Amino acid sequence: MTRKQQRTALIGAVFTVAALAVGLTLTALGRSVAYFYSPSDLAALAAPPSGTIRLGGLVEPGSILYTDDKAEVRFVVRDEIASTPVVYAGILPDLFSEGEGVVVEGRFGPDGRLRAAQVLAKHDENYMPREVAEALKKQGRWKEGERVGE
Amino acid sequence: MSVFDFANPERFERLARPIAVPTGALAAVLIGAGLYYGLFNSPPDYKQGETVRIMYVHVPAAWMALACYTALAAASAVGFIWKHPLADVAARATAPIGAVFTAVAIVTGSLWGRPMWGTWWAWDARLTSVLILFFLYLGYMAVWAAIEDKARAARLAAIVAIAGFINVPIIKFSVDWWNSLHQPASVFRADGPTIDGSMLAPLLLMALGYTVLFIALLLASMRNEIAARRLMRLEGAPGRPVSTVRKE
Amino acid sequence: MRAQLAVIGRDVSLAFRSGGGALHSVIFFALAALVFALAIGPDLALLSGLAAPILWAIALLSALVSLDRLFQADFEDGSLDTIVETADFLELSVLAKSVAHWLSAGLPVVLAAPAVALLLNLPAEGYAPLLLSLLVGTPALSFLGAIGAAVALGLRRASILVAILSGPLFAPALIFGVGAARAGAVDSPQFLPAILLLGAITLFGALLGPIAGAAAIRLNMTA
Repeated sequence: MTRKQQRTALIGAVFTVAALAVGLTLTALGRSVAYFYSPSDLAALAAPPSGTIRLGGLVEPGSILYTDDKAEVRFVVRDEIASTPVVYAGILPDLFSEGEGVVVEGRFGPDGRLRAAQVLAKHDENYMPREVAEALKKQGRWKEGERVGE
Repeated sequence: MSVFDFANPERFERLARPIAVPTGALAAVLIGAGLYYGLFNSPPDYKQGETVRIMYVHVPAAWMALACYTALAAASAVGFIWKHPLADVAARATAPIGAVFTAVAIVTGSLWGRPMWGTWWAWDARLTSVLILFFLYLGYMAVWAAIEDKARAARLAAIVAIAGFINVPIIKFSVDWWNSLHQPASVFRADGPTIDGSMLAPLLLMALGYTVLFIALLLASMRNEIAARRLMRLEGAPGRPVSTVRKE
Repeated sequence: MRAQLAVIGRDVSLAFRSGGGALHSVIFFALAALVFALAIGPDLALLSGLAAPILWAIALLSALVSLDRLFQADFEDGSLDTIVETADFLELSVLAKSVAHWLSAGLPVVLAAPAVALLLNLPAEGYAPLLLSLLVGTPALSFLGAIGAAVALGLRRASILVAILSGPLFAPALIFGVGAARAGAVDSPQFLPAILLLGAITLFGALLGPIAGAAAIRLNMTA
């Protein structure tokens, strides 16, 4: 091979490898590598995972129940398809409330409930003053958990 | 070194000297106004309340962390390809400023995460990739510190800066590609900002202030570097001791 | 191409002869496992949960400790001069040096991993995903490490600079390597994406490392 042919072959090889790397990345991202599982990810599994996992979703409205001595709180985390029950003993973050996003870390107990070691609140990308939020809700143009402007 | 010592730095100095002080003053005014509007004269968030005010310090710092690295990589590329000495000086001066903006973003983010998320730190994609950015800045500076020959240090540091640039798009899109704890972008997004105008205004004011501050610091640092190199060159000349200042 | 194969052959046979680096990497790997196991203490359940992350971390460390020698020996005895002057594409020579580094420092560690995993009490279902993730991911360490090794070439305190420069570049491989090893052990759907991303990182490293490494070597040899 002449030097010019070698150079062409080399550039071809570089592009092939780069394309392969990009292809692998896109395939992988399509399958979503997550900081946390969603309830529907968990529902798709044959058995609940044995180790510590993170679960992310919205707190189901009306599902928050405190035990009589307020030592434990039970709630349900859900997405559009499935839901997972959670139990937690500890201090909840300020943003934790019904309909809000949470990320829960813990392991499944024998009763199929996720025993949380930590509950983190996930907030969305909407920022606005209280009056604007209420005005938007009143006009029916926006609901909590939705993107503004959709 | 001939190009460096005569043509460009002279012109740069003529250009930079008169605007150095006004830029610094403008940065102070803009940041002062931004902080006033952000901290005292903007509405609390409907969900986060007063805590949202950390945003006015945190978000522009994170933008600057990315912008500075982009500038660093661009200046490095110019310095590497065209051997433009002023670009090398600019790249070297950008790194510590970018590192400080990154540190500010990480620290204020941590202070914001504690009340809102319930944790100081989480190893999610956005936080981790920004921490890696901080170490990339440190690595870049370490190359400059480790190599005595300035011309060679500039080229080698440029290679490190350009190789590390891959992290910038990863940071930007980390919140879209992975389910992270960090919320998605509110301002730079395809379907328009999701932040109310009354909060966007002080945010942009702060971002402008940070940008002008960056320019002011960059000019000061570049003038320092050029002066230090000139001093070294003069001291290197035989029989002409010009100062008792020690070489760096 | 023949020149590159010759470089690989020479480096690998040097590494596996007595006094070579291959055995050192494995000994370091085992020793680092011992350090972690002793530091964690006799809690076998805890150790078995941490086994996969520990194995990945110490595989990364053992790649790191041998990286500052990647070009150093050739630099000292002058053969790097010959390579720079005669190679048509220095990038390919750097690629060959990286492949040789993986064959002599990475692969032995991967092969030793099952035995060390036994000491760390890795659960039985964790072996296959761990080995696969190490096999796919550790070449990225040799490729990306070439950048730091080339930049620090000839410096007196090269090893610490190599570590500082390589650390951020190694982070993605570590994250997705451990992610794949853990996800595979519990048969989670996250296993496949993590392995694919790990493969992408290795391929990407095989491009970035030789290109940036060759540029740095050229500078260091001529300046």
